[in-house]
Amino acid sequence: MSDAVLFEGVTFTYPGAPAPVLAGVELELAAGSFVLVAGPTGAGKSTLVRAVNGLVPHFSGGTMSGRVSVHGRSTTEQPPRRLADLVAFVPQDPGAAFVLDRVEDELAYVMENLGVPGAVMRRRVEETLDLVGIEHLRDRSVTTLSGGERQRVAVAAALTAGPRVLVLDEPTSQLDPQGAEDVLAALQRLVHDLGMTVILAEHRLERVLGFVDVALACPGDGRVVAGSPRRAMDVLGSGPPVTRLGRRLAWDPLPLTVRDARRRAADLSLVPPAAGPPAAGEVVLEARRLRASYGERTVLSGVDFTLAAGEIVALMGRNGAGKTTLLRCLAGLHAPASGTVSGRVGPPVAGRDVALCPQTPESVLFRDTVGGEIDATLGAHLGGQGRDGVLADFGLTGLAARHPRDLSAGQRLLVATAAIAATGAGVLLLDEPTRGLDLEAKERLCAVLELKAGRGEAAVFATHDVELVAELATRVVILAGGEVIAAGGPGEVLGDSPVFAPQMARVFGPGWLTPEQVATALGVEARA
Amino acid sequence: MHPGAWFVWALAAGAVAVGTTNPFYLVLLWAVSWTVYALCRRDNAGGDAWRIFVVFGLIALATRTALVFFGPVDAGSVVAAALEGLRLATLLVVFGTFNAVTDPFAVLRLAPRRWHEPALAAALALSIAPRMISAAGQVREAQRLRGIKVRKLAALPAVVVPVLATGMEEAVTLAESMDSRGHGRGTRTRYRPQPFAARSFAVTLGAFAAAGAFVALGVAGSGDATYQPWPLVWPGASAWMVLAVAALALPAAVPSGPREGGGAG
Repeated sequence: MSDAVLFEGVTFTYPGAPAPVLAGVELELAAGSFVLVAGPTGAGKSTLVRAVNGLVPHFSGGTMSGRVSVHGRSTTEQPPRRLADLVAFVPQDPGAAFVLDRVEDELAYVMENLGVPGAVMRRRVEETLDLVGIEHLRDRSVTTLSGGERQRVAVAAALTAGPRVLVLDEPTSQLDPQGAEDVLAALQRLVHDLGMTVILAEHRLERVLGFVDVALACPGDGRVVAGSPRRAMDVLGSGPPVTRLGRRLAWDPLPLTVRDARRRAADLSLVPPAAGPPAAGEVVLEARRLRASYGERTVLSGVDFTLAAGEIVALMGRNGAGKTTLLRCLAGLHAPASGTVSGRVGPPVAGRDVALCPQTPESVLFRDTVGGEIDATLGAHLGGQGRDGVLADFGLTGLAARHPRDLSAGQRLLVATAAIAATGAGVLLLDEPTRGLDLEAKERLCAVLELKAGRGEAAVFATHDVELVAELATRVVILAGGEVIAAGGPGEVLGDSPVFAPQMARVFGPGWLTPEQVATALGVEARA
Repeated sequence: MHPGAWFVWALAAGAVAVGTTNPFYLVLLWAVSWTVYALCRRDNAGGDAWRIFVVFGLIALATRTALVFFGPVDAGSVVAAALEGLRLATLLVVFGTFNAVTDPFAVLRLAPRRWHEPALAAALALSIAPRMISAAGQVREAQRLRGIKVRKLAALPAVVVPVLATGMEEAVTLAESMDSRGHGRGTRTRYRPQPFAARSFAVTLGAFAAAGAFVALGVAGSGDATYQPWPLVWPGASAWMVLAVAALALPAAVPSGPREGGGAG
């Protein structure tokens, strides 16, 4: 089989960076493979996928040695536009990458640039609309699409050129579980039916490991290790919950998917865990019969919600189900059409009783040191805990003098969250706090929220990340169409849901949430 | 409506604005632009950005007027400066209307190849304005939640720095996306070119005739097109020239039949 993508001794250093992000990378990817690029943030995943179509180094600057070629054409000699007929690239935030307003025009854009004749363009647009399953969106303005729709339109807009290699940077990070499944299924069809080579960088390993056949591990020292997905998980020492469980129980071969684990677990018998006692703290935030709308569109219709001290509540539901609006109502930023929101004493005041971390918290950073960011909040509030306490809570003490823009994406997000939480408000609301976060940053965030909950503060977070919910939440609320359709402990709410069940529940049945919980239960059983 | 027709309309309205300092015509042109905006705007961020162009126009008007106080002042020079400011503001409002009724990138696709790069720069600038406006709203809100008093001048960096940083990032993403999709390779074809329907034809001809008549009459010296406020008396106005400016509201009057297949207009 011919090589679709070839890296020969590629070393790349960003301008001003002390060490290369890719060091002596040698890769051969066969045509028609489905390739995952995995690793912590800042380890070179994005750099690697962007080098495939020449955005690195043509747009990034920096110094590159070695050679990258795609089906024999070198990216050093040809800029991305010259490779547009061969390699298509879908960036992390497709919303910012749309050029035209209408979906159909957006699909045709690349073909216009390639000089494809009108009749051929017409046919390919129709074929691609069907292939990706977005025929119903053809006349929509790209600004009105939901996250999942945007992602699929971006994939379609990349495909019309008839590329042989498709590269995607974190295609599922903004999607709900079903939306992510749809995108991945569409990609798999491209690999199976058209023999396309698909390369994707992704953090959400539990979603993609079942699909890919090759994995490139970027452990963070400039190396890229190519091999089977199992080998990549060995190199990285991380993985989805089933893999982490397999590692703890010394299963060999290491399970990568729920199916692998189920086969292995068939002979294990586990007593379903008892649900923990419900939190019985003082109510710190309560919404009653909340209705909210944007213009004509009703977003929330009669939501009841309570939050008690010490709780960490997960808010789940499809893209567009009303999660963000509920958070905004709870923070007093969006005036409900009817219904009430009350805090400990009267309606909560945003910034004093409630802190809200928006979807892109990094966009509040403006000072030139991490410590300065915390001071900007504390200076404004003259209260709450001191700056050092905030930094210590978030594990940022060592970074106080660094410039926020020099930090990794995960660290930057923690700094922003710390700056917002530093108001000293007893309730922290977070809107999709783990988008694009690696395991390490995620664990840090979990630790912070658990620490705060232990002190009697409370948190609500909206998320699509089922495994995060399984690990962190004390209670789960699922929204659909602006109504609460399920609420309760994570074990009972997530356990039997076909969409929201975490991997442990899929393997061992309702009630099981984390590999740690299962391992402990098995350990106890073995000793008894 | 065909984006090309809008382009001609904007050029015509711009020519009228540039060609006069008479407040009657300029104020009428504001009203015409507002009517066209209100009846023809598209339901998206470009449409929402119209207000910002109005605000920029008012700022231009105030700045131009204030500048005159740095030299010897008489009533006439203040009025003259204010009218020049008004002319600039009118141009901005015309531009904002153009931005609100059509997709800048749809116009870009009509540009001849040799003009492609400057047209691209203009289209990018136009598309980034509304994005930065929505970013500014989000950042202000988030900073307010941190207890930063966003209305105070000292807090300006707290809004401006993140907005500029986000704007730069989005501009880079867009440029990368365009290059990755073959922008600037040279040979271009058009996908489902929109037919230049009767309405577009009428608007193009009407705008061309109105601006032509206005400029010709102005050059011929009628109707006080270039008004000099020394002595400070009300300028005159010609009925024909008022009619020519009013005729620029034609796009708002032609029925906006069913949406054609191609192009975003």
